[in-house]
Amino acid sequence: MRGRFFAVCRYEFRMQIRKRSLWLSTAGLAVLIAVAQGDRGPRHLPAAADAARVMGSWALLFSMLLPIGFGMVLADRLVRDHRLGAASLLASLPTRPGALVAGKYAGSVAATAVPALLVLLVTAAGEFVHRGDPALFLWAVVAFAVVLLPGLAFVAAFALVCPLMFSAPLFRVLFAGYWFWGNLLGPNYLPSLTGTLLTPIGDYPASWLIGERALYAGAPGWLSFLRPEPGGGAALLSVVLLAVLATPPLVFASPLLARRTSS
Amino acid sequence: MDIMISGLRRRFGRVEALRGVDLAVPGGMFGLLGTNGAGKTTLMRILAGVLPPTSGRVLVGGHDITTRAGRLAVQRRLGYLPQDLGLYPDLTTHEFLEYVGLLKGLDDDAARRRQIGELLDMVGLSDVARRRLKGFSGGMRRRVGIAQALLGDPALVVVDEPTAGLDPEERIRFRTLLAQIAGHRTVLLSTHIVEDVAQTCQEAAVMASGRVVFTGPVTGIIDRAQGATWEVVTQGPPPSTGVVVSAVGRPGGTHYRVVSPTKPDPAAVPVQPSLEEGYVALMREAVPG
Ligand SMILES: Nc1ncnc2c1ncn2[C@@H]1O[C@H](COP(=O)(O)OP(=O)(O)OP(=O)(O)O)[C@@H](O)[C@H]1O
Ligand SMILES: [Mg+2]
Repeated sequence: MRGRFFAVCRYEFRMQIRKRSLWLSTAGLAVLIAVAQGDRGPRHLPAAADAARVMGSWALLFSMLLPIGFGMVLADRLVRDHRLGAASLLASLPTRPGALVAGKYAGSVAATAVPALLVLLVTAAGEFVHRGDPALFLWAVVAFAVVLLPGLAFVAAFALVCPLMFSAPLFRVLFAGYWFWGNLLGPNYLPSLTGTLLTPIGDYPASWLIGERALYAGAPGWLSFLRPEPGGGAALLSVVLLAVLATPPLVFASPLLARRTSS
Repeated sequence: MDIMISGLRRRFGRVEALRGVDLAVPGGMFGLLGTNGAGKTTLMRILAGVLPPTSGRVLVGGHDITTRAGRLAVQRRLGYLPQDLGLYPDLTTHEFLEYVGLLKGLDDDAARRRQIGELLDMVGLSDVARRRLKGFSGGMRRRVGIAQALLGDPALVVVDEPTAGLDPEERIRFRTLLAQIAGHRTVLLSTHIVEDVAQTCQEAAVMASGRVVFTGPVTGIIDRAQGATWEVVTQGPPPSTGVVVSAVGRPGGTHYRVVSPTKPDPAAVPVQPSLEEGYVALMREAVPG
């Protein structure tokens, strides 16, 4: 069955990486971020800022918006087998539903990770032009891995599975709403998940890279037990919690899919 | 792989799609005829392990399809072409077949690619093997569908209305292809097109409203209209009793062929029925009115 998992992963990745919407949404959001950031953005960091801080700041900024595009693009990946009329064929093949779901999930994360990593590497190249520090490239990869990737893995799980319970368009609306409420809305306005260990924008890992509070990580607010002081341990805990939260939707995906096919 | 079905039922909410199906399918090519909504697709989806039955027993090659192990054993030797199969528009023909082949467990790369090459030749798609599936015509999609079904040399091939919507030439090519591959396996073919069954199957079953109303040699269907098929030549209106199967306008009057248990017109003469007329007679018995 391992062969099947890799086959699904490979083909899911291949199909998605060919989607123009994936590249257009990534490029559009990335350019918007690069151009429209305020004067507190990473473009305006002092020349003496170290590479970890520069790339950590960029990664957090991209991580605030890029996953919105990814969530929109991924929302129809599991339901589209039914829409296209390929679900019956898939269900007739000697492949367990678990392998299908796991493969599609891994392929989806990989397909969104590639453009995200590319965006960070291109940014690192831009910074390299005037900072001249080759470590920027190394820190771009590290920042991608600890700030962006856990959030992508978290978003992908919900974006794939939620549309099995309600429609993909409704999911997109709810997802965009959640994103602003749970990640960007300052915790002092409304009770919100912003600044907690559960925020998928990578506030804690970015704070660890930058060496101080990156955005709202640990700022006082609702659910104070989820708001420890930022640092290496808190960053790791945040990544682990996101991975744990992404598991239930993936576990429920197989029975949800089976119910859909057999009705 | 032979199929033994007994007491098979399947309901969807308040609709009972299969109401106690008993059917034995031997090897070779077997036709499954029936009206819209008769339950052919439901039956085939159950055989393919896609849909669980509500009740009843289904043995395929001795494996019980209602158990997980039995279903997997059948699926390993199954080729299935669903009705209205959708293909991934962003893959090429070759990639799609690769994908299905891998999911069927054909892990030997060289052997799988060789088989894909042979199948593409067989269905006449070698020239477009590297083209994206987006924009393929109905006939081409159907040929990709049959190629994927045949991957892995399945012992049981289940094809659900593979000839619907094809032009006559393509239809004939397609059903001939199916008959060719039926030599050493079981091919279950569902269709509305009586002619497809007449030309390719020795044995067939006919379904109506969730039941099997006939099963046996195809000639048995013709026999149902024996003594009940008539020709009437008239310049007036068509006969009012029976079912008019054909009407050909000629200078001396319109020639009607009518299926009716009783003589539909004083001038009617009995004629030798065709398979289609047998089918019509069967349907009149099965679904009165
Ligand atoms: N998934 C489903 N949900 C609800 N009802 C269904 C479902 N599938 C089939 N049915 C119903 O079951 C009955 C049999 O349908 P089925 O598709 O098996 O017929 P069929 O013989 O294949 O018809 P056709 O020749 O039109 O393809 C129909 O009344 C149909 O409406
Ligand atoms: Mg059907």
